[in-house]
Amino acid sequence: MSIVIADSSLAASPPPPEPEKGASNYLNVTSGFWSWALTVDHKRIGLLYLVSISLFFVAGGVAAGLVRINLLGNNPTEHILTEDQYNRAFTAHGVLMLFFFLIPAVPGVLGNFFIPMMVGAKDMAFPKLNLASWYVYMIGAMFAVWGVLAGGIDTGWTLYPPYSSRASHANVMPGVIGVFVTGFSSIMTGLNIMVTVHKMRCPGMTWGRLPLFVWSLYATSFIQLLGTPVLAVTMILLGVERSTGYGIFSPELGGDPLLFQHLFWFYSHPAVYIMILPGMGVVSEVLTCFSRKNVFGYKAVAWSSMGIAVVGFLIWAHHMFVAGISYYAALLFSMLSMLVAVPSAIKVFNWTATLYRGSITFQAPMLFALGFVVLFTVGGLTGLFLATLGTDIHLHDTYFVVAHFHFVMVGGMVLGYFSGLHFWWPKMTGRMYSDWWSRVAATIIFVGFFLTFVPQFVLGYHGMPRRYPNYPAEFQVLNVLSTAGASVLGVGYLIPAIYLTLSLYNGKKAPANPWSATGLEWQTPSPPSVHNFDSMPVVKCGPYEYAVGVDQMGRGLPEPPGEGGGPIHGYGKTGPAGPMNKETEVVG
Amino acid sequence: MSDPHHAPADPHGVIHDVDKPATLLGVFATVLLVSAVSIGMSVGVPGLGKMALPLQMTFSTIQAVVVLYFFMHLKKADRVVLLSAAASLFWMGILFVLFLSDYLTRAKYTY
Amino acid sequence: MSASTHSPVLKHHFEDLHQQHASERLGMWMFLATEVLFFAGLFAAYTIYRMLYPAEFEFASSKLLWSIAAINTLLLVSSSFTMTMAIRSAQLGDKKALARRLLITAALGSGFMGLKAFEYATDFHEKLVPGELFQSELVSADLELNGMTAEQAAAYKFDDAKHEHWAQELAKHNFGKGPGDEGFISPERVQLFLMFYYVMTGIHGVHLVVGIGCVLWLVVETYRDKIPPENYSTVEMVSLYWHLVDAIWLFLMPLLYLAGAGMHH
Repeated sequence: MSIVIADSSLAASPPPPEPEKGASNYLNVTSGFWSWALTVDHKRIGLLYLVSISLFFVAGGVAAGLVRINLLGNNPTEHILTEDQYNRAFTAHGVLMLFFFLIPAVPGVLGNFFIPMMVGAKDMAFPKLNLASWYVYMIGAMFAVWGVLAGGIDTGWTLYPPYSSRASHANVMPGVIGVFVTGFSSIMTGLNIMVTVHKMRCPGMTWGRLPLFVWSLYATSFIQLLGTPVLAVTMILLGVERSTGYGIFSPELGGDPLLFQHLFWFYSHPAVYIMILPGMGVVSEVLTCFSRKNVFGYKAVAWSSMGIAVVGFLIWAHHMFVAGISYYAALLFSMLSMLVAVPSAIKVFNWTATLYRGSITFQAPMLFALGFVVLFTVGGLTGLFLATLGTDIHLHDTYFVVAHFHFVMVGGMVLGYFSGLHFWWPKMTGRMYSDWWSRVAATIIFVGFFLTFVPQFVLGYHGMPRRYPNYPAEFQVLNVLSTAGASVLGVGYLIPAIYLTLSLYNGKKAPANPWSATGLEWQTPSPPSVHNFDSMPVVKCGPYEYAVGVDQMGRGLPEPPGEGGGPIHGYGKTGPAGPMNKETEVVG
Repeated sequence: MSDPHHAPADPHGVIHDVDKPATLLGVFATVLLVSAVSIGMSVGVPGLGKMALPLQMTFSTIQAVVVLYFFMHLKKADRVVLLSAAASLFWMGILFVLFLSDYLTRAKYTY
Repeated sequence: MSASTHSPVLKHHFEDLHQQHASERLGMWMFLATEVLFFAGLFAAYTIYRMLYPAEFEFASSKLLWSIAAINTLLLVSSSFTMTMAIRSAQLGDKKALARRLLITAALGSGFMGLKAFEYATDFHEKLVPGELFQSELVSADLELNGMTAEQAAAYKFDDAKHEHWAQELAKHNFGKGPGDEGFISPERVQLFLMFYYVMTGIHGVHLVVGIGCVLWLVVETYRDKIPPENYSTVEMVSLYWHLVDAIWLFLMPLLYLAGAGMHH
């Protein structure tokens, strides 16, 4: 594929004037409680999601803090929690973070907000369904919170029977209902995004011109649609078994508890791709923008998203290697699990190639995105250890697994989410946040993260099992290190909460296109008007024409910010924005 | 809206693709007939043994295909709709095949 | 396209009715795809247990009332037909026929649910319910055979000999056999089948009730003049859902009711 510009004179056209800010934007057009509670504007719904997932991120973080503090001591005399409370704390952490933060985070906030704008539409295909998805999410979340507060859930987030269905005296039912209900919200969001991408694209927005963020969310939605219903029916079966005492997983009826694990992981393994794919989409946008280069291998990155979505469905039983599945199935799933490394690696190599010889600036979104690439690579490669049947028998259910998926979920996904939040914050709120503090926060989070989870790799390799509050004394140094890292990480999360909030009150007013990016969403004023675009945009070229310096509508780009916030020319560097100023490799 | 030149009586291009009642009636009769055969066979024919389930599922599949094609208008659906329908069946296939890859290769149950 | 841009049913964020209808149809089909996967989980679980415990599944299935299921099939297939005819009426702008056909559809669906309720009641009466009802019934049948020789047990006539109760049949069948013996029908796995029966028909019933609700809503919309010909796709959306629920029943019916229907011949 070569660079697609119909008319070479496009390249020389000047950047568009700052779009006129109308008297109203989506934030101030109406006010009052009901204008938010009954809104069908995808942008406002995105903000509703932003507020609610932030709350659950904090709640899940508190639970994680309790777990880490408890692990400072290696025996009950040094613990702050009883063993029973410890079970409830790590379950609360898992349930809240996975179902109520990671899964809805990027699709719910950034997807809702930006997918319609990126494809040039006025709204999602089904605005009311979109609002309903938020309410359903909140109802599910209320059930889960009830479960966690009124007695807690002690099964681990995986809810394996027969423990969850028969033995546990904890408050399992609300958790099961919460997971069931929230699944519908996930389906609604996914369905909306898929239909929007299919049917709401503006003229000229071909599939080959969709931003990679759209591609990745499309792949995510695909998993949400095909995976979540299986989880829903599994939760029904579990709920029936728990409430009646009889069910199709009960061993005393000849039922097979492993069947639950099959059904559960049929959703829950692809669900980790629901969590990570959107992060990959964000990173594709940010890396390209801040290295001022066309993305390397657009088609490869786009299709690898779809590849991950499909292959991700074929590998779930690697969670069950030691649970009693047949040897042949274990071999098969081990082999298939290796396959998913291929599309993931395609992405990492393409991102690296995108960075190569780019004019990189290190604003906060870029720092988070680079962190994502590094941490995701570590997380992904350690995943191969676990996919390998032999090593998995040693590493299964140890802290190695914990460290592995935290590298992907936190190091990957949370950093990806933060990257996207920082990238699009000026567009969402119309305000710039503190450049210096945001870079500090990115650095602290990165360091704190490594300190938290690298010791856990070592712990797991030496055999410390996950979910145990007690451990041998020789593991204590590493556990203390990990808890220390978690404190650093906690501080790192607090700083953005402060400067992002402050930016709402005294942040600099953001221009329409502060990063000099190419996507359609930057063609609207910051914050956008109610219907996003005054007139239907017409797309003339691909999504990342940084080399030529034109946006998707074929108009010139404004000067990109340099290091320290000023225009890049102020620092005597080569300005990559202009068409001719830089030697560029045109690849695509 | 495949036909931009609608008759004045049909400004929205709705009428030109209505179903013929005869077709629908035919589909209705077919589905009922297949049901009758399936039930009659299962109840009335002794000694089907292991063949009963495959035969029943074949009949059900025929019925479902007819319902999908005529009642649910897959015959005039666009490609994406066909793709969604196909994807759901394909993923159901993944579920079955990989589940069975475990259960069919397990050591024999001894309880 | 120009003709359709001025319709009052066009929502503001769509460019024209064509786009609106195509989006609705695609959205509905994607939702149906999720429904297929939802039931696929159940069907897969059923398949595995039926493969593991064929004798128990056939025995339990033979105790269900296939005749009611057959009538229900008739009702549901008929409702699918009237539902499709309703789309036709909507396209032709025939309000009266539309309302009538929708009402017939809802009535047929309700008939299905009524028979279903009757069937559940019968099953409860027969104590074909996993748990204590099932076990106490079986224990009392076992006690009656207690102390007999194999010949006596085989020849024994229970009080209600004309309609041999399932528990009595199971007790006679299993007489002198234990778990692991050739031909033993495990009462536990019979209950496992019954779990599938209640869960699968229950979930299907919930879907049907939702469908009836949607059809009745369409009737109201029809009388409120909200379904002009160019908005017939609203009827079509509900019909897609209705047909899927119908199609799922066409699979549930043989799996649950016909698995053991040939056992008594």
